Amino acid sequence: MKVLNLPMSLLLLLLVTACVTINVYFPAEAAVKAADRIILDVYGEKPDSKGEEKPDAAEPTSWRHDAVRPTPVAVHILNWLVAPAHAEADISINTPAIRQLKAKMEQRHRQLAAYYASGAIGMTGDGLITLRDQKLVPLKERNSVKGLVSQENGDRNALYVEIARANDHPEWESDIRQTFARRWVANARSGWYYQDGGAWKQK
Amino acid sequence: MRTSRVRVAGASLLVLGLAAVLALQAHAIESAHLSLGNLAGEGWSLDDVSVQLDWTGESRARAVLLAAAAQLPGQLGSVKDLQFVCESAVLTATGFDCARGLLGLHSSRLGRQSLPLSVHYRHTDKQVRVRVRSIRAAGGSIAVSAVYRDGGWSADVRGSGLVLADVARELRATGIELPSLALDGTLELDLDLRGQGAQLARVAYDARVQARSFSDESGRYAGEALDVTLAGNVRPLRDGWVVSSNMTARQGAVYIDPWYIEVGSAPVVAAAVLDWLPRKQRLELQSFSYRQPGSVDLAGQGRIELQHEQPLRQLQLELKEVFLPSAYETYLQPWLTESLAGNLETTGQLRGRLQVDGGGLVRASADLQSVSLAEKDGLFGFDHLSGNLDWSDAAVPEYSTLAWDAGHVYRVSLGKTAVELESTGNAVRLVRPMRIPVLDGELDIESFSLDYPGREELRWEVDGILTPVSMQQLTRALEWPEFGGKLSGVIPSVSYDSGILTVGGVLLVRVFDGVVTLRDLQLTDPFGLVPRLHVNANADNIDLESLTGAFSFGRIEGRLDGRVEGLLLESWLPVAFDAEFATPEDDKSRHRISQKAVDNISNIGGGGVGGALSRSFLQFFEDFPYDRLGIRCRLENGICDMGGVAPAENGYYLVKGRFLPPRLDVVGFADRVNWGSLVAQIVAVTRGKNMVVE
Repeated sequence: MKVLNLPMSLLLLLLVTACVTINVYFPAEAAVKAADRIILDVYGEKPDSKGEEKPDAAEPTSWRHDAVRPTPVAVHILNWLVAPAHAEADISINTPAIRQLKAKMEQRHRQLAAYYASGAIGMTGDGLITLRDQKLVPLKERNSVKGLVSQENGDRNALYVEIARANDHPEWESDIRQTFARRWVANARSGWYYQDGGAWKQK
Repeated sequence: MRTSRVRVAGASLLVLGLAAVLALQAHAIESAHLSLGNLAGEGWSLDDVSVQLDWTGESRARAVLLAAAAQLPGQLGSVKDLQFVCESAVLTATGFDCARGLLGLHSSRLGRQSLPLSVHYRHTDKQVRVRVRSIRAAGGSIAVSAVYRDGGWSADVRGSGLVLADVARELRATGIELPSLALDGTLELDLDLRGQGAQLARVAYDARVQARSFSDESGRYAGEALDVTLAGNVRPLRDGWVVSSNMTARQGAVYIDPWYIEVGSAPVVAAAVLDWLPRKQRLELQSFSYRQPGSVDLAGQGRIELQHEQPLRQLQLELKEVFLPSAYETYLQPWLTESLAGNLETTGQLRGRLQVDGGGLVRASADLQSVSLAEKDGLFGFDHLSGNLDWSDAAVPEYSTLAWDAGHVYRVSLGKTAVELESTGNAVRLVRPMRIPVLDGELDIESFSLDYPGREELRWEVDGILTPVSMQQLTRALEWPEFGGKLSGVIPSVSYDSGILTVGGVLLVRVFDGVVTLRDLQLTDPFGLVPRLHVNANADNIDLESLTGAFSFGRIEGRLDGRVEGLLLESWLPVAFDAEFATPEDDKSRHRISQKAVDNISNIGGGGVGGALSRSFLQFFEDFPYDRLGIRCRLENGICDMGGVAPAENGYYLVKGRFLPPRLDVVGFADRVNWGSLVAQIVAVTRGKNMVVE
């Protein structure tokens, strides 16, 4: 071939100069798993859970018993090889901030559980909770329940932001919120109230 | 007003009837029947009216008045089968007396009623007295006693055992708009009404409400086990009403969103005198007072105009006594749930004044008397705050003083401090430099200024010097492993703007015979849900012997330099940094590492290798010389990228031995280490416990 024809040249030029765009899609399935791990702990549904997240990366592998050479003596340490992390799309929920928020929510849930059960509190469509019928709360407890609801919502809002941030995708916050909104309901006990298209339904 | 018209109409009718009857008696007729047909007036009518009189003796007669139906004015409804019988009416030249009459009727509102009543008419001054002993109404009974004379009238209405729910229903049926309330309780009522013609001149009331419970539909207004008495009077003005009212709550609790008020052993008392001008939609509070013993005692005056978005236009409020924690928990905390001030333990008391003008706060002052407050999660606290705080929105500065005996921020304790402040509008500044004892050191604040232009835009700036604070006290306060040294620094500027606290200048920590400097310190959301701290640090010439001694790690001799770039703490735990520590290149000091230190370094690796060391001939050496030691870790996403002081075969030297025997090298092989596990092991080693790695 003497010369490349024009279209072929252009195509080659394009291939050489084109930059590659990689789209990172929101890992919906991983987000559901991550949400469930947090939610089940908050709801206290895992009897053996002690509120500690397992690290994202693999646990340390066993100690490598390399022989210590007589001279020079080499002490081999720090042999916890970390498995190639993030081989597939994952949602990380293992940061101090997320652990702390979750621990606070777990503790608070013990106070809130009775109000979910009575129907005083319901789950909203945006991953928060609200006092749906304060008549179901004794007068004396109304303000403390309101306080609990407001603190819980503060923590939940912060949680969604932190998870998006921990995964280096602050723009995922709204997807994470939506995922959580569905999973809070999916993992709820039967009888608890949730908002569906503005109307209250009982699970 | 409606009531007055009825009275006027009834009295006129009676006068008309009596005049006719007296005329008949003069002609000595034994019985008489008068058919009056239909009678009607403004807003009322009587159908098919007839009067029958049968004389039973001199001046005595049996009187019967019948009407087939009556339409009462306004919303009072209609009555049918109206029958008034007086068995022994006394008819004299001066008047008419019926001590025991009986009025039977069927009311659209009250059902069939048989009302014993007395009627007296005095011809000389045209005075009519009517008394109804008992009307069954609203589950209880009502007695009415009324007098009419010369167009003026008065009525005393007493209701007893009235069922609140029925009262509300009756009132609603008369067209009075009431919120939908679930009510369970009773009402005792005494009304004294006075008027002239159709004009109501005064209503005095005295009522006692005993409610087991009440609640509106939303639950925003509710009460329980209430026993409340209300007394007062209402008088008309040219374009409204003047109301004077007192309330005493002896027991029970109410929820008026967001306040929950529980009556204690002493009653809660409130009083008000106000003008209600409906056409202007204006409420002039001439005076009001409210006292909940042990909580608040306040008084004031003000004006409310309902057409404004901010209806409270004017207010002078004097807080005569405010007792903590009751006043805080009852009245303040519900407003503050989402702020830092919403989660406090408080004690002490204060007084104060507030002034609102044109819908906005223009002046406030408080006199604190030994107020202590502490954030419940331990973020901050102050003991025995006292002083006078004055603020106004005027251009003229106001001066305040504030002092506390002790305080703390997180677990760092602050000593006795006095502050003098000057405020102008939304700006506050320090009048003279202040000193805050911090642990065993001092924070000398040269200047402080605060700017609060809007709700979200709090800004402040501090210039100061931190005189040395012992690290031993600081580390103990922060519950870190204790070590010696001193923290000090010149802080040319600490500023806070929109949630971010930035420390200008350099903080200096003299520690382990070396110096650690902290630069570019920035704290985001310091008291928020996720506080974030950014800082860069350098360590120079740290003496390893003191360092390892402090942490019972096993003795290492030598010096250490290091740097930590981009340290980020989230919720006070590290999530990212790039750190490197190593023996300085030109270090001439003695370099020795003890067997225990080697053991411990090995244990961080998982345990067991130290044993290998002790099994070898090296067990006979207590310590080993080394050339250099060092470690590098770049933390990101929970993973530490590791490195040492020099590359080794398949790894890196953490301790590079001297060429001469006994030579010992510590080599790391893993270049990616899980940070959480590493920290757990280091903590276990420094606490003298070995963790088992499975």
